[in-house]
Amino acid sequence: MLLEAEGIVKAFGSFRAVDQASLVVAENELIGLIGPNGAGKSTFFNCLAGDTRPTSGTIRFRGQEITRLSPDRHARLGLARTFQVPIVFAGMTVRENVMVGALLRHPHRRRAAAEADELLHFTGLAERAEMPVTALGTSGRKRVEIARALATEPRLLLLDEALAGLTSSEVEAAIELVERIHARGVTLIVVEHIMEVIHRLTERVLVFHQGRVIAEGTPAEVTADPTVIAAYLGRRRRRAR
Amino acid sequence: MILLQLVSDGLQLGAVYALFSSGLTLIWGMMNVMNFAHGQFVMLAMYVAFFCFTLLKVGPAFFVPLAAVGLFGFGVVVYLLLVRHVMRGPMLAQIISTFGLALVLQYSALWAFSANFVSLPTTLVGGVYDLGGVRLSAARLLAGATAIALTAGMHLLLTRTDLGSRMLAVSEDRVAAALVGIRPDPMQALAWGLGAAATGVAGGLIALFFYVSPDVGNSFTLLAFVTVCLGGFGSVPGALLAGLVIGVVESFSAYWLGPATKDVVVYGLFVALLWVRPQGMFGRA
Amino acid sequence: MIPLRRAWPVAVLVILAIAPFLTANPFYQRVAALVVLAAISASAWNVIGGYAGQISFGHSIYFGIGAYASLLLFGRFGLPPIAGAPLGIVASFVVSLIIGPPTFRLRGHYFSMGTFAIAALAEILVVNWKFAGGAIGLMGPAMPRSLADLLFRNSLPYYAIFLAVLALLLALTHLMQRSRMGFYLRAIGAGERAAESLGVPVQRYKLYALLISGAFTALAGSLYAVMIGFVDPESGFGILISVNMVVIAALGGVGTLFGPLAGAIILVPLQETTNALLGGSGTGAAYVAYGLIIMLIARFSPGGLAELWPLINRNGRRRAA
Ligand SMILES: Nc1ncnc2c1ncn2[C@@H]1O[C@H](COP(=O)(O)OP(=O)(O)OP(=O)(O)O)[C@@H](O)[C@H]1O
Ligand SMILES: [Mg+2]
Repeated sequence: MLLEAEGIVKAFGSFRAVDQASLVVAENELIGLIGPNGAGKSTFFNCLAGDTRPTSGTIRFRGQEITRLSPDRHARLGLARTFQVPIVFAGMTVRENVMVGALLRHPHRRRAAAEADELLHFTGLAERAEMPVTALGTSGRKRVEIARALATEPRLLLLDEALAGLTSSEVEAAIELVERIHARGVTLIVVEHIMEVIHRLTERVLVFHQGRVIAEGTPAEVTADPTVIAAYLGRRRRRAR
Repeated sequence: MILLQLVSDGLQLGAVYALFSSGLTLIWGMMNVMNFAHGQFVMLAMYVAFFCFTLLKVGPAFFVPLAAVGLFGFGVVVYLLLVRHVMRGPMLAQIISTFGLALVLQYSALWAFSANFVSLPTTLVGGVYDLGGVRLSAARLLAGATAIALTAGMHLLLTRTDLGSRMLAVSEDRVAAALVGIRPDPMQALAWGLGAAATGVAGGLIALFFYVSPDVGNSFTLLAFVTVCLGGFGSVPGALLAGLVIGVVESFSAYWLGPATKDVVVYGLFVALLWVRPQGMFGRA
Repeated sequence: MIPLRRAWPVAVLVILAIAPFLTANPFYQRVAALVVLAAISASAWNVIGGYAGQISFGHSIYFGIGAYASLLLFGRFGLPPIAGAPLGIVASFVVSLIIGPPTFRLRGHYFSMGTFAIAALAEILVVNWKFAGGAIGLMGPAMPRSLADLLFRNSLPYYAIFLAVLALLLALTHLMQRSRMGFYLRAIGAGERAAESLGVPVQRYKLYALLISGAFTALAGSLYAVMIGFVDPESGFGILISVNMVVIAALGGVGTLFGPLAGAIILVPLQETTNALLGGSGTGAAYVAYGLIIMLIARFSPGGLAELWPLINRNGRRRAA
């Protein structure tokens, strides 16, 4: 198994943002993570990526326990991620942003630049390589984050809402990009709100609700699951009030 | 008995620290801007007190409110002319701007008032009460009591009034507050005004028993940092508690280790604190 | 265009190398030496404060260590003051290893406050340190015993020494800027969390940066002591020493190779002239002017002169605000 997360709990004070969540990922899977706002998806990602230490539970990656390792060790081992709100390196160009990722495996600048160029091409950013990264809009920044993460040559990539806030044509392009990343042999876990995207991309989906995994299965199975419907409807009802 | 004496001295002084630190914590909580000139605000208020007394021959009942009003205006002006413009700029600009302000205030004071130490006559608020062996000086008692009352008042203002909730709304989320019709700018100017006014009162009170000199502000800036940090950044009740704790720590270390090392103890405490709990002792994780 | 871009730094250095020899006025020569000295410490600060974005207000500690190491070796052991430079550098490493790891956990304003407090603490400790002259400070040799004392009537020899050190520092910084370390430091400055997620060992690189930065700041302190021949707690460890480095770098543009030098070329002569005009530091007027300048920089040019540079040099890439 590529990744095994078991009984992950993340508590903020007495509030459990993630509560006994477990997940097993095999090599080459493309897994979806869905759930209403505040369900704990991003927090779960942060635990997997070492960005925050789980209160309890264990995470193994390629057989090695990584629960308490720092984020940079995760990257070194081949686990990369993007952020829900992109964090780009202001003051650098698009290429330089990607080079930061590439320098992990290629300490020499020229080599890293060549790797970065390949990924800029792959992600459709080649024309904007020289631009300051802050000149890019949301969709461009999300792509930079993906290119940067890929530059670390990950085995497993966690995408946190890489498609949120994009226009419909951008969404099309992004879906296609995710498929191509998968075709490169990178295992993926994607958090996504748009069900249609989940249907098209993934074979297996986990549904989060109030920190717990309430359902797991194919997209068709989970959308038919009454507990899932109740979780989403419950949210609507609360909102309507 | 000496223990009780030290505790009571510490608490009275600590209450004043709490008051000017709550001014700083208010500003930090509202807009995440750290005022490196905060101690110089205290120094200004102390000079207001001193000159009111020497030139106008008036007592604290007059100069403390005057310092509050004066510093309120000064705080608003600093916000409007300086802070408002650097706030959303790079962090470096935010930090050096208040450092620049600190220099201007401190050395203007040096220029205008000379480096001499001056002080108000200790008899201005005279009298010492003896409470079963613990001596309470009237000046410190007045300062301590006023400071506690005002710090509590500030907390109530923030938590119990409509104005307070508007200010908190702006501090939570400027954009959201603007959407519901709260203009952030006046609220933040007000926060600077109130923060400075609290500092003004504190300065006026400290002047009753502490010497005044142009560079007296430096140690107050650090004291306020320690207090704000210990109290949990942005929390007024935290600052009150922390101020009292620091007052007591200071009075104990001055007694046991000598007055020269009391600053070492307090700053050392700060460094140790930042080390173990960067979010502050009483702050949330 | 490429040759021109490569040529201008060389031109700058050549101009710097000959400039003070064109005047016989000792005031200008002294100012020129002080400019280069300030450029050294601001460029050293720039490694951690500019590239890595960790705005330290504690660098006076390093400056003071260097200055005190020099004059202590002279005062207590009769060694030439410059012998304190290696000692100061070693001591700076020790200090970095002690204060680096805990303070690096602080971010943004908290880091600045923490380093500010540590520097204030250091100043108080030195004031109370009798062996190092307490509040009075230490003196250098009054008369040169040998050439090793580096005691010259004229400022030009100092200027030459300082310039050599500055050139070394800038060359190192230039190499660093192009290497993995340069990328990693800039990434840390721009977004620590993202840098970490890309495999950057953030704490380790911050420490590397601090070690380099502190060592050169200590060296600047030693050179200062050699030239001035006097140091006390305020001129060695005072908070203004730190502020000066930060402001000079900020004026020229943090995180750029030549920014701190540009800042020093503008600010130091301005300071020296206001000092001369307004009657020295005793009256405070010069500091008032200085504080005003700082506020004006923060208010009107928060990115420093480097931000204006692309407007002049169309070839340059604009740094985002
Ligand atoms: N540092 C924190 N401190 C306290 N509570 C937190 C913290 N981080 C997240 N939370 C809370 O944990 C819960 C889960 O948040 P999380 O961001 O993981 O949800 P999410 O499923 O990613 O939601 P969204 O779809 O909106 O991105 C939320 O209620 C959030 O407020
Ligand atoms: Mg999320």
